[in-house]
Amino acid sequence: MSTTRTAAPRPPLAPASQPRQAGEDGSGNAALTADHLYRFFRTGDEEILALRGVSLSVAPGETVAVVGPSGCGKSTLLGCLAGLDEPDGGTVRVGGERLSHRPEAHRARLRAERIGVLLQSRNLLPHLDVRANVRLARTAGHLRRSGGHATGRGAPRVEVDELLDRVGLSRRGGAYASELSGGELARAGLAVALANDPDIVLADEPTGELDGQTEKHILQLLRERAGAGAALLVVTHSPRVVAIADRVITLHDGTVTS
Amino acid sequence: MSSGTHHTPPPVPSPRSTHGETASPRGSTPLQTRPPQSAAEPAGLVVTCEGVARTFGEGERAVVAVHGSSCSVRFGTRTAIVGSSGSGKSTLLHILAGLERPTAGNVSWPGLSTTEHERQGQIGVVFQSPSLVPALTVAENAALPLVLAGLPEGETAERVSEALRLVHVEDLADQLPEELSGGQAQRVAVARVLARRPALILADEPTGQLDQASGQHLIDVLLATAEQIGAALVVSTHDTEVADRLDAQWRMQEGRLSLDDPDPRMSAGQIDQPAVPTTSPATSRSVGFRR
Amino acid sequence: MIETWLTGLLRRRGGRLLSVSVGIGVAVALIASLGTFLTISQETMTTRALRSVAVDWQVQVQPGADPAAVRAAVGASSGVRAALPVSMARSTGLEATAGGTTQTTGAAVVLGLPDGYRTQFPGEIRQLSGSPTGVLVAQQTASNLHVRPGSQVRIGLGTSRPATVTVAGVVDLPQADSLFQKVGAPTGAQPSAPPDNIILLPAATFAAVLGTPTTTPPSGAHPTPVTSVTPVTTQVHVARSAPLPTDPAAAYAEVLGAAHNLEATLAGTGVVGNNVGAALDAARSDAAYAQMLFLFLGLPGALLAALLTAALVGAGAQRRRDEQALLRTRGLAPRAIGRLAALEAALVAAGGAVLGLAGGALASRWAFGDGAKPAGRTGLLGLSPAWSLVAVLFGALIAGVTVLAPAARDLRGLTVSGARHAVGRARSSWWMRYGLDFAVLGAALVVFWVSSSDNYALVLAPEGVPSISVSYWAFLGPALLWLGGAMLLWRLATVALTRGRRPLARVIAPLTGRLARPAAATMSRRRRPLTRSVVLLALAISFAASTATFNATYQQQAEADAQLTNGADVAVTPAPGAPLSSTATAAIAATPGVTRVEPLQHRFAYVGADLQDLYGVNPGTITSVTSLQDAYFQGGTAAQLMAALAAKPDSILVSDETVKDFQLQPGDLLNLRLEDRTTHQLKTIPFHYAGIAKEFPTAPKDSFFIANADYVTKATGSNAVGTYLVDTSGTNQAAVAADLRRALGSSASVTDVTQTRAAVGSSLTSVNLAGLTRLELAFAVILAAGSGGLVLAIGLAERRRTMAIISVLGARRRQLQGLVMAEASVVAVGGLLGGAVISWALTQMLVKVLTGVFDPPPASVAVPAVYLAATVLTVVLALAAAAAFSARTSTRPAVEELRDL
Repeated sequence: MSTTRTAAPRPPLAPASQPRQAGEDGSGNAALTADHLYRFFRTGDEEILALRGVSLSVAPGETVAVVGPSGCGKSTLLGCLAGLDEPDGGTVRVGGERLSHRPEAHRARLRAERIGVLLQSRNLLPHLDVRANVRLARTAGHLRRSGGHATGRGAPRVEVDELLDRVGLSRRGGAYASELSGGELARAGLAVALANDPDIVLADEPTGELDGQTEKHILQLLRERAGAGAALLVVTHSPRVVAIADRVITLHDGTVTS
Repeated sequence: MSSGTHHTPPPVPSPRSTHGETASPRGSTPLQTRPPQSAAEPAGLVVTCEGVARTFGEGERAVVAVHGSSCSVRFGTRTAIVGSSGSGKSTLLHILAGLERPTAGNVSWPGLSTTEHERQGQIGVVFQSPSLVPALTVAENAALPLVLAGLPEGETAERVSEALRLVHVEDLADQLPEELSGGQAQRVAVARVLARRPALILADEPTGQLDQASGQHLIDVLLATAEQIGAALVVSTHDTEVADRLDAQWRMQEGRLSLDDPDPRMSAGQIDQPAVPTTSPATSRSVGFRR
Repeated sequence: MIETWLTGLLRRRGGRLLSVSVGIGVAVALIASLGTFLTISQETMTTRALRSVAVDWQVQVQPGADPAAVRAAVGASSGVRAALPVSMARSTGLEATAGGTTQTTGAAVVLGLPDGYRTQFPGEIRQLSGSPTGVLVAQQTASNLHVRPGSQVRIGLGTSRPATVTVAGVVDLPQADSLFQKVGAPTGAQPSAPPDNIILLPAATFAAVLGTPTTTPPSGAHPTPVTSVTPVTTQVHVARSAPLPTDPAAAYAEVLGAAHNLEATLAGTGVVGNNVGAALDAARSDAAYAQMLFLFLGLPGALLAALLTAALVGAGAQRRRDEQALLRTRGLAPRAIGRLAALEAALVAAGGAVLGLAGGALASRWAFGDGAKPAGRTGLLGLSPAWSLVAVLFGALIAGVTVLAPAARDLRGLTVSGARHAVGRARSSWWMRYGLDFAVLGAALVVFWVSSSDNYALVLAPEGVPSISVSYWAFLGPALLWLGGAMLLWRLATVALTRGRRPLARVIAPLTGRLARPAAATMSRRRRPLTRSVVLLALAISFAASTATFNATYQQQAEADAQLTNGADVAVTPAPGAPLSSTATAAIAATPGVTRVEPLQHRFAYVGADLQDLYGVNPGTITSVTSLQDAYFQGGTAAQLMAALAAKPDSILVSDETVKDFQLQPGDLLNLRLEDRTTHQLKTIPFHYAGIAKEFPTAPKDSFFIANADYVTKATGSNAVGTYLVDTSGTNQAAVAADLRRALGSSASVTDVTQTRAAVGSSLTSVNLAGLTRLELAFAVILAAGSGGLVLAIGLAERRRTMAIISVLGARRRQLQGLVMAEASVVAVGGLLGGAVISWALTQMLVKVLTGVFDPPPASVAVPAVYLAATVLTVVLALAAAAAFSARTSTRPAVEELRDL
């Protein structure tokens, strides 16, 4: 998770006046921007800086791969970008709206409406079957978009089945996580991550334990989503993932090195 | 925590070039090196499978993970099992490790102890998922097999620190597994196998959690160690780059094992043929640790 | 979404939900069944109190008032079923001639009873022989006068000519004490005994004899009406029909209010003798004690069940955090996640309520029997509806605190990543750093000390005052002790596991072999769940042990009470003035089942102008038939004082009051006057004060003397025996008593302790305490076994994972089992030792604090060894079973285990 032992002083909270740093595509229409992110952890007396001033941006339809040695802060970065973790300094914006340093309810709304997160493992709630997992994620997104008013009984079954069909799991909708193979788990996780039709997809080592065939399939589905205009940020160390990326960001010791 | 400075792995003794002369940094506890053998002499069998199959579940819902497959592994050989996920390579590896009982066929370990728990000690397994004891520190985890084997305390400590150093986690000796990243935990799991100096090393997707450089390094270490202690090494992987670094490749496809090696002597599916490995053959089942 | 979630929970988490529901259910069942017990016992107390009185109220018509008007006013007041006037006059004496001799009695009381009195007040008069109507004489009067139905009795009426009546029947007056009470007089001014001679006349006859005007002219009464100088008083006897609350205290308040109301209506013409009020007054303090017992003994059990549930829920904390993190990742708002957690809490609360009420109903049926249902208002499943509701609410509270609260706490956590990294190296708790455990223990002692200065007066029920005060403060002492003991144990266990890793490794080495050091390291790092298990087990053990010890002590004292009243297993009391023949005494000793007979002298002695009972004992042998507890005496132990009586025969033990009244110092001379056998005159006999006797078998509760029988015999010339105390080794008392009754006939009355036990004792002892004990002990065992077993269920996943890894590394099955057994042993030893110490301290405090429920106060606590051994055995078995189960999972192929994790 963390990278470096350091006695570095606590990073300053990013001042509002600081000029916004953006990617090559410019920040004007960026789907996701991170501005001077700092994150440190405390273990006993030691302070570990996992992120030290990371700035990046992803444009709609763009695929960005984040690479770096294990423990360089990739997962921490992803957590901050998804609003699952709060940076100690710096700002994360989603489509111009600030995600960091907002109440959890607000961050949850942004996640539900715009962000899909694909983790390396444990994407499914173990006591719900695949269909229910997808429906739960889809309903969360739709509920928010319709202004918080429940419009009946959650996402229509047709939409859910369509999504499962797209990832090749149309016949495994009733299965539970413990009954799925590794490849199926990955595809089910992807279905859940895409359930809310997100503008931004964040993936953490989505193909880490997959064979080439499944990896190809997953990447293809992700690319489709990017083709539909979603911003895609993938934390990975797989060369095949890097190969499909429009841009590669290398993270080392909590800083962007390239 | 890793300092992160090992982006590029430091040189590890290359398995081939340093054969026979590599010793541990401490002269007192050299990793045991097998005496060079004449190349013509076939090395002893470590494990052999005859028509093993493994079916999960029963009736209509039964899933066949491994179809009747035969194979054998000799001392000093380095084999990759290549296949896509769900192809049955993990199951086969577990059968070779004696962790999974085949539903059909036979598996035997002619080169290892006949007592089950002793044999288990002679087989080192690196699992795909984290396999450290959560309540023990990195050093204690790595020492476990040695403690089980009854090694004296001092020697245990030396071997453990040496093994941790080999995989670059010596700084993490006092950390608990929950404080490690996935890659670090995986390296500790490898160190635990190295410290034990087993006769057979089975690694299931050992580089799955690692970036490319660390993965390469880990394979280097595994190869070097296997060489030094004369152990047989079997690595399951979906990564062709990893597989290419091993001497032989077995291919698993939908539970069926096939030989994917230009060298027909590599004994997958045909155990009757004498298989002569290309590296350091061994005649005896001597395993590189002292009692 | 809620539906999907609910279905998923029920389908895939059924087992986990069920286990939490069971934990809640135990608490619900405990409260519901104990509450039902409380309700039943209060009802029993009320009904017993009501049943014990024959006449609810006796309204004394005041001099000058018109009895008829008073009667009419009483009859018209609400809640009165029957109001009948009873006239009462004093006779100078009764006389009868039978078989040529004439018998005369001293002063007698003449009652005039209206028609229908016996139907309205059936409990007042018991027919012994003859006709139920007409002139009736009390049994003792009949025997004094030697009259039978048909005999004639002359009633002396002072100056006038005696009236002659014909006896129609002989009766007994079981409630003579209250019948002849002085209405309106305080307790101290009441006559000490009912009149010796009583004759009951029909109202018409009474009027004819005493000249009181009656509405109906006398018919069939032969004497002509005379104007008597004998004053006639009138009482209106009242039977009430108004329903009363089942709680004695409430019933008392209501009856008292009604009586006051009536007195106000009567405006000074009548005073109410409130018999039913007096009976309820006695019952209400017992009811308050029953409530205290419920609190002392029931609440800790319910709390313990709550703690167990919390531990059970805690075992799934990581899973819940992971799920919560995932839900947040999917964008669920905190409120939505909270709703899902609330759903789970509601589910287990509902499950707990259903299981608990069913279990509670079964438990009460088992403990109290079928008949023991709250009368009249039989609630669901025979449980008290009010207590069922309380129990269900408590269950819901447990669910809220254990399921919902942690979820809410995690939700408040800033970030998901924070939630995912909630585990870490165990740090010492804040309360340990501040030494809160010592503070709590200190507070317990202070509270205990403060309440000891009030003599642990837990219940104050001032006579005649409807309010009752219960000192819940005293409850705080044991509660704090329990809490503080648990915290201290937590500290000690933590320190031992942190610092004592090496010794621990040495201790467990026989179980784990080579794995001793890794095992010790594991335990040291997992000290939090281990410590929690040790403390839970200790709390459960201490609950079981202190409850059992308290109950056993209570039984012991109830037994002692019965023994004190009866004297021994069986007591043979010869008729006064008719000592048993030597053949009869030989017959007693020869009766099968009799192991020993001890004569106890009973005399009356004057000290100054005060008449007291004097008991002559054989100090060397008295303890062979009856037990003398040290608590009965002051100034020495029972043995010391008996030795003093033996060594100096003129020694005497006197009451506390006598010591004060006569300013006695040990060794002081005390001259008593006793009747000399030959002269029948009082004779002064010197004694020397040697100690204080507060209680003595067969002795009254107030003042009495204990002296050496030989000395009394020598001084008075008589060895007349008051009571033969018969020992039957504590068995077959009723059968032996029956045999003795047959053998001795009418020459002596024979009582046995079982009969006495039923008759004496407060209404508290009379309620089904055996049922309560059974109920509590059963719950205590369940809780102890539960906490023992839970120990290994906590962290089962992690342990299974550890075992799988170690087995892959080449550990033998025996080593794996050794790991589990080592952990189980540490928990068992720590929990049992800690529990033993806590329960020892707690019992001492409980017995002291609850002194008020004991009569007599205990000299020492009774330790129910068999039950305690059974509890320990159950715990050990539960632990062993859990360990075996845990170890069995290690035989599952390790790779399957690893795949699941």
